[in-house]
Amino acid sequence: MKPLALLFALAGTAALADTTLLNVSYDPTRELYQDVNAAFAKAWKAKTGETVTINQSHGGSGKQARAVIDGLEADVATLALGYDVDALHQKGKLIPADWQKRLPNQSAPYTSTIVFVVRKGNPKQIHDWDDLLKPGVLVVTPNPKTSGGARWNYLAAWGSALRKNGGDEAKARDFVTQLYRQVPILDSGARGATTTFGQRNIGHVLLAWENEAFLLTQELGKDRFEIITPSVSILAEPPVTVVDRYADKHGTRKVAQAYLDFLYTPEGQAIVAKHHFRPRTGAQPERPQLFTIDEVFGGWTKAQQTHFADRGVFDQIYEGGK
Amino acid sequence: MSATGSDAIREPALVRYSAIAVAIAFLGLSVVVPLASVLVQAFGQGAGRFLAALREPETWAAIRLTLLTAAISVPLNTAFGVAAAWLIARYDFRGKGVLTTLIDLPFSISPVIAGLIFVLLFGRQGLFGPLLEAHDVQIIFAVPGIVLATTFVTLPFVAREVLPLMQSQGSNEEEAALTLGASGWQVFFRVTLPKIRFGLVTGVILCNARAMGEFGAVSVVSGHVRGLTNTMPLQVEILYNEYNLVGAFSVASLLTLLAMVTLVAKKLLERSKAVRR
Amino acid sequence: MSVTVEGLTKKFAPGGRPAVHQATFTAPSGAITTLLGPSGSGKTTVLRMIAGLEAADAGTVRLGALDCTRLPVRERGVGVVFQGYALFKHLSVRRNIAFGLEVRRRPKAEIDRRVEELLALVQLEALGDRLPDQLSGGQQQRVAFARALAIEPRVLLLDEPFGALDSRVRVELRTWLAELHRKTHLTTILVTHDQDEALELSQQVVVMNEGRIEQIGSPDEIYDRPATAFVAAFIGNANVLRGTVKEGQAALGAHALGALGSAPEGSAVQAFVRPDEVKLARADPDAPAMSLGLVEALTRIGGFVKVGLRLPSGERLTVELGKAEFEALSVSQGDRVLVDLGGAKIFVEDYSI
Repeated sequence: MKPLALLFALAGTAALADTTLLNVSYDPTRELYQDVNAAFAKAWKAKTGETVTINQSHGGSGKQARAVIDGLEADVATLALGYDVDALHQKGKLIPADWQKRLPNQSAPYTSTIVFVVRKGNPKQIHDWDDLLKPGVLVVTPNPKTSGGARWNYLAAWGSALRKNGGDEAKARDFVTQLYRQVPILDSGARGATTTFGQRNIGHVLLAWENEAFLLTQELGKDRFEIITPSVSILAEPPVTVVDRYADKHGTRKVAQAYLDFLYTPEGQAIVAKHHFRPRTGAQPERPQLFTIDEVFGGWTKAQQTHFADRGVFDQIYEGGK
Repeated sequence: MSATGSDAIREPALVRYSAIAVAIAFLGLSVVVPLASVLVQAFGQGAGRFLAALREPETWAAIRLTLLTAAISVPLNTAFGVAAAWLIARYDFRGKGVLTTLIDLPFSISPVIAGLIFVLLFGRQGLFGPLLEAHDVQIIFAVPGIVLATTFVTLPFVAREVLPLMQSQGSNEEEAALTLGASGWQVFFRVTLPKIRFGLVTGVILCNARAMGEFGAVSVVSGHVRGLTNTMPLQVEILYNEYNLVGAFSVASLLTLLAMVTLVAKKLLERSKAVRR
Repeated sequence: MSVTVEGLTKKFAPGGRPAVHQATFTAPSGAITTLLGPSGSGKTTVLRMIAGLEAADAGTVRLGALDCTRLPVRERGVGVVFQGYALFKHLSVRRNIAFGLEVRRRPKAEIDRRVEELLALVQLEALGDRLPDQLSGGQQQRVAFARALAIEPRVLLLDEPFGALDSRVRVELRTWLAELHRKTHLTTILVTHDQDEALELSQQVVVMNEGRIEQIGSPDEIYDRPATAFVAAFIGNANVLRGTVKEGQAALGAHALGALGSAPEGSAVQAFVRPDEVKLARADPDAPAMSLGLVEALTRIGGFVKVGLRLPSGERLTVELGKAEFEALSVSQGDRVLVDLGGAKIFVEDYSI
């Protein structure tokens, strides 16, 4: 045990803090939680006098859930999908089944949606989903078989087509089939698609998370891209939870709980808005009209099985699209 | 034979020069240009930005973790590699073929699989998971797991360099040393080690380069906790994905520089060997 | 100090032919004993078992009165000169010679003094700082001797010490070794396949074949009175003639040789006669063709002439004559000569006289 402890001391910078939390999250939330962590640490110190340090781990949401189940001892998990958090209960017995009821808004303190990024001046005049099917428009979106973000893009397209066509499944299917015919490259991950669009200058429109779209324009140049919000899109509700088993083991349940509660405070919600996630409180913008997976697809598990399983709808239309 | 080869195997000058030109162009495009572009990206906004990027706490932690990992796994694999090569070259025993194959195994399996092996062994739901949890020992998603995975992936380098040397040189000198009264350790340090030293250095350098550069296996067992369990290659990926190009290329070029330093050290050693001949 | 081996046996492959089988002999103190035999005869294995580099399956090795069969190599105090020298390539000549003293942690002054003495003994004073690769084969061999002698060994074991050298250097080094031995009087065991080396250098020769000892004796005894057919054939490159026992004598074509006493009539017989032991005479033109040899080939080699004969039985015989002797005989190719096999050694199958 001693040598191991020494290794940690050598490798770690945070070992001296009074309390340490590990927040295992997904890829696009890094900057959000950096700010949240600093603000929370300050608030906690003011309230209790205790020093708390929050370590962050980011990666693909499914992969992160798997790591937590395999022993990455997260005190809190802040993932992309309820499906991934459910796995912590179903596969890892780390949290109770009713975890989603423990915090307001189904334990999702912020939301996000899928928007379009186009090149400056919007040369192809893309304003809504139908415009994506204009002749010659190339759409950049990653492969839904390998990328979580890509599934949201797919479901957003499907759901918006359903809305426009009064719930006609066949027309929605036609729309999505045509859409993927106009995808020149299926990158394996969201960040790869962003690079394809932003740095390799391929395609006319990129489907992306709203916060990613803002990050892209900030980092690669506001003068190069524009963000287009469609009239209808999907509502993503990334959930958060205390990982009971690890928090109890570390004796950090109280502070972990306070950390998640902080996200719902006005201060927390302001930070959420600053990073282009949508806060739960305050005025909500008119565009887009949002639908949830539960409403349109009967939940994530069902959507997954119908559309993305082997020989699911995506395999059928993409095979056909080739 | 002279260094340029005999006349009999010479090609016409035109063929020779075009072959050389093609080789240089190929190396230039596939090695020099990408490496140069990494350096340009890193230093493009000045050495100050480069140094600042390396001083960033998470990056600095990644550099230290990488050095620590190499500092543990390289000596371990050096000792193991020499011992295994010694056993295989000198003795006949049951299971020798199996041992030889096992040494090569990490070369032949994907690093991702190598990482998963440790998850399956030491993960919470793995073979030793309950035992480790009961004693509150953390292996994967922590430094020990990273060291283990790195050690596993870099295991063959030293053994593979040293073994052929030992096999081709035979054991006459060792036997002579024994008859002159040397103990086992004296034989090893005074005779065997000097005989294999150049191969050993090559093996250690390759082992070190891979230990510092390994991505796949380490990525699986790291847990990606910032400032704690990210090594330099993982940090490069993270920085790149966060559009921090200067940071990413600064760490990348530091890794490249470390690799080049070891390569230059190897070249110098080889030159000193040539001079002594 | 004498070396005694008793019943020494070694098998490398289980179930295979033993490399050495029941070897027993004593190498007398202060003498050179040669283990002589063709390659694969087990002589090197015997030497390695004496050195402790190979463990005996059975039997004992004694140095003087000390049973050292189980003693580790480094405690036996034997000096070994290996085939191919086995010098430490990364160390200078001086450090090679000093090696045995350095590992014994002798004082530096003593080591330096001893190394200089040995360099002088092997006449390499000027080359002490060279690396082995920068020396000729003969010089490397002398370094190997100096290195083995540095530890003041109880016995000196030499494994084909001149095997890798060209013939002129071999002969020179043989003389040098004889002188060295006169100075040191170390008990020495020499392994070689070269009978000239064995006959010239040693006081005792142990002839080995297929893992077994064929004969032990002085060089003269080995040469003049071979105990077995193998020794008779091996020593002196003897001609082999085959025949049968007839009326108590060996019948070899027209020749009847030896007194075989009670050997059973009709038994197979081998006769061994060395090229320099055959006597030739000009044939009387009236002599019966049966006892004559036909001169098939004449080869002059320096002071010798090699005469290739074909006997009436069809067997071939090589004869060596001195130049003067040959001129006196005055024969040429196609002539017939009288052949006297008087010096032949005769062995009846499974029976010898």
